[in-house]
Amino acid sequence: MKRFHILAAALCCMASPLALGTAQAEKILNVGMAAADVGALDPHRAVSTQDKPVMNWVFNGLVRFKPGSVAIDGLEPDLADSFRRSPDKLTWTFALRHGVQFQRGFGEMTAEDVVFSLKRAADKDSSSFAADYANVDSITALDPYTVQIKLKQVVPGFLGLVANYQGGNIVSKKAVEQLGEQFRTMPVGTGPFEIKEYQPNQGIVLVAHAGYFRGKPKIDGINFKFIPSDASRDLAFSSGELDLLYGRQDQKWVERTKEAPGTVVDVIRPAELAELSLNQTKKPLDDLRVRQAVAYAIDRAGIAQFKGAATAEPATSVVPAGYLGTIDAKLFPHDVTRAKALLAEAGYPNGITITVIQTSLPTMLNSMQIVQAQLKQAGINLELQVVDHATFHAQIRKDLSMAVYYSAARFPVDDIYMTQFFHSRSTVMTPTAATNFSHCAVADKEIDAARVEPEDAKQQALWATAQQKIVDDVCAVPLFEQLQVWAHHTKLHFNYDLKGSLNLGPTITEASTLD
Amino acid sequence: MLRFVALRLVMALPTLWAVLSLVFVLVRIVPGDPALVILGDQATEQALVALRHRMGLDVPLWDQYLQFMAAVLQGDLGISMVRNRPVWGEVATVLPYTLELTFVGIFLGVLMGLPLGVLAAQHRGGWIDAVARWTSLLGLSFPAFISGILMLLLLAVELPWFPVIGNAPFANPPAHLRALVLPALNLGFIMVAYVARVTRSGMLASLSEDYIRTARAKGVPARLVVWRHALRNALIPVVTVVGLYFGILIGNSVLTEIVFNRPGLGKLIVGALNDRDYTMLQGLMVIYALVVVGANLATDLAYGAVDPRIRVR
Repeated sequence: MKRFHILAAALCCMASPLALGTAQAEKILNVGMAAADVGALDPHRAVSTQDKPVMNWVFNGLVRFKPGSVAIDGLEPDLADSFRRSPDKLTWTFALRHGVQFQRGFGEMTAEDVVFSLKRAADKDSSSFAADYANVDSITALDPYTVQIKLKQVVPGFLGLVANYQGGNIVSKKAVEQLGEQFRTMPVGTGPFEIKEYQPNQGIVLVAHAGYFRGKPKIDGINFKFIPSDASRDLAFSSGELDLLYGRQDQKWVERTKEAPGTVVDVIRPAELAELSLNQTKKPLDDLRVRQAVAYAIDRAGIAQFKGAATAEPATSVVPAGYLGTIDAKLFPHDVTRAKALLAEAGYPNGITITVIQTSLPTMLNSMQIVQAQLKQAGINLELQVVDHATFHAQIRKDLSMAVYYSAARFPVDDIYMTQFFHSRSTVMTPTAATNFSHCAVADKEIDAARVEPEDAKQQALWATAQQKIVDDVCAVPLFEQLQVWAHHTKLHFNYDLKGSLNLGPTITEASTLD
Repeated sequence: MLRFVALRLVMALPTLWAVLSLVFVLVRIVPGDPALVILGDQATEQALVALRHRMGLDVPLWDQYLQFMAAVLQGDLGISMVRNRPVWGEVATVLPYTLELTFVGIFLGVLMGLPLGVLAAQHRGGWIDAVARWTSLLGLSFPAFISGILMLLLLAVELPWFPVIGNAPFANPPAHLRALVLPALNLGFIMVAYVARVTRSGMLASLSEDYIRTARAKGVPARLVVWRHALRNALIPVVTVVGLYFGILIGNSVLTEIVFNRPGLGKLIVGALNDRDYTMLQGLMVIYALVVVGANLATDLAYGAVDPRIRVR
């Protein structure tokens, strides 16, 4: 037994002196993200949730969303000092800021880089967002500090495509050409933090970009750590190893985390709109009355309440609230009697069964279970075939599910969301497929007309009509909007008003500080 | 000796081939699309088709299979579909972490399990025996992720002795060792349970042998009787268990690695599975199979070290 005491004592002794660690004079921000690894850090390839927060820190666009805001009407100059647009909205001319430096010694940013970068974003071989730039006709450098973009037709919210988001992030031409494949994990931008090291499976080390054009950041570096286990991530935050934490979209989590001293929970936009798409090609959902019955049977307020008032809001339309064009649509009220009557009228007095392929991802599965319980009240039996997330994504795109529960945020202009989810061109299993799982086609005309409508009021009206048509045809039943949840220790000061971030994680600016 | 090793390696080839073929088919049978993972859920169908073509996923299955086998035979595990980096490189960066964790885990397991088993056998029915039996029961029945979280709560959050995030690099030995303690202990606990149980029963058997009685009658000190004469004979099954569980622990390290945020094969394989990264999964299986084959070989060789009667000539 004595040996055991010695062993235990040895382990303890080994632990304590080392536990003191080294005092760090540098201000390093530790961020914990729910992922096993990064997908891609190349801004034109970064599509996963875990990739996006980094974009905020490394890149700029010609214009930018104000830090902490997702409002597309609040865009302000970023790499461009100013811009002009022709009266027909087809020609945009940007005057670039002088003396902006790329990170890691890649030199001054000029019109050449901007042209290269935007063309790269528009090329499907190098960008995941190429489709957004389909209506761009030409991008040219008029001189080293002037860039002109010509459009084939009016693009709603065009400025968003040259903002600091997705394809609008400006990369260094020299770095792309010089780094080759390495650019995927070690990209070079003009933003406040530069990537110093990518550690597979572990994290990304960023350091302050000394030559940042708005001034050297007050925080010296960011350690972005991949911690896939929710429990471990929370523990690392409690132990002080993390200052900023990717939270859980869960009411209980929010309440518990708020209680901890020195902790702030950030519930931010954009919201992901969760909708239940009803496949109009599958019996009995081909009958409008049956689809209406489903809509009447769903209690949006009930779902939002169950998901938690802190992180979820009832849906207001078939497009997320706050996007350019979204209205407060006339949705079906919760009315179980009416639902039953409609089913009976359609020839199903004993109810129906809908078979659904459902992801095992817990947040999505538990929402669907609430829907399942609500539909049951009206005699609609939702049979869930639960599969893992990758299988789910593959199978719903093969048109195999009678209904699809999908939760998504898009660029905050209605055109994009509506086109991808409700335009017949986007119907699954077609050559131009996107995410139209319902085979919806009622609003094609309005969506197409709105896209090229130069007059704002008319465009808004077309979008409004489109939304109501989609609601009335019950292509999808909007459920609730899920906000993003983060938490930070009070020693971190963003120094701007954090309401949201299109990149799904808080922006760290040159002015942000760490006590 | 060399011939024996070579023979065993040749005999392992059919196993490897079977594992590889099975994995090749399995990863492709499971629905899911690596192209969709890379391009994201806003990707257009044309872009997906183009990417599948570029990754060679649109060629016939048998063709893909032949290409894969030909590459493996040349020691080429290919390039990760999703991460676009050589699989060998990806594995090489994390393999030391997994091997280190497994070895230290086994070492701790044996270090604690062996004496525990011997003491339990020596004091059969006594309180040490009871403690040993309870400990092994706990070790066997506690899932690694529960014991891991409990340890973190106790020894990293309440008592801030160890870090929650266990990924300190090799380049910083003090921090690295400190980060290794909890995960290795966690893995070691499972081992303690097995080793203590097998040691105990082995010891009980050998302690009742005639030669032990003879040794005792001769007046050999009790310590020597137990730790030299009896233990040596009880070791064979222990070696078997350790060898066998080396492979199992490598697999079990998946949970430990995730809970303790260590880089390693486990984290890699979970990521590759979520991403449907076919080449990465295949490559990882090759590595796992090689490790298990290697561990079995080492076990066979260890028998000889423990028991001269089965030494290979």
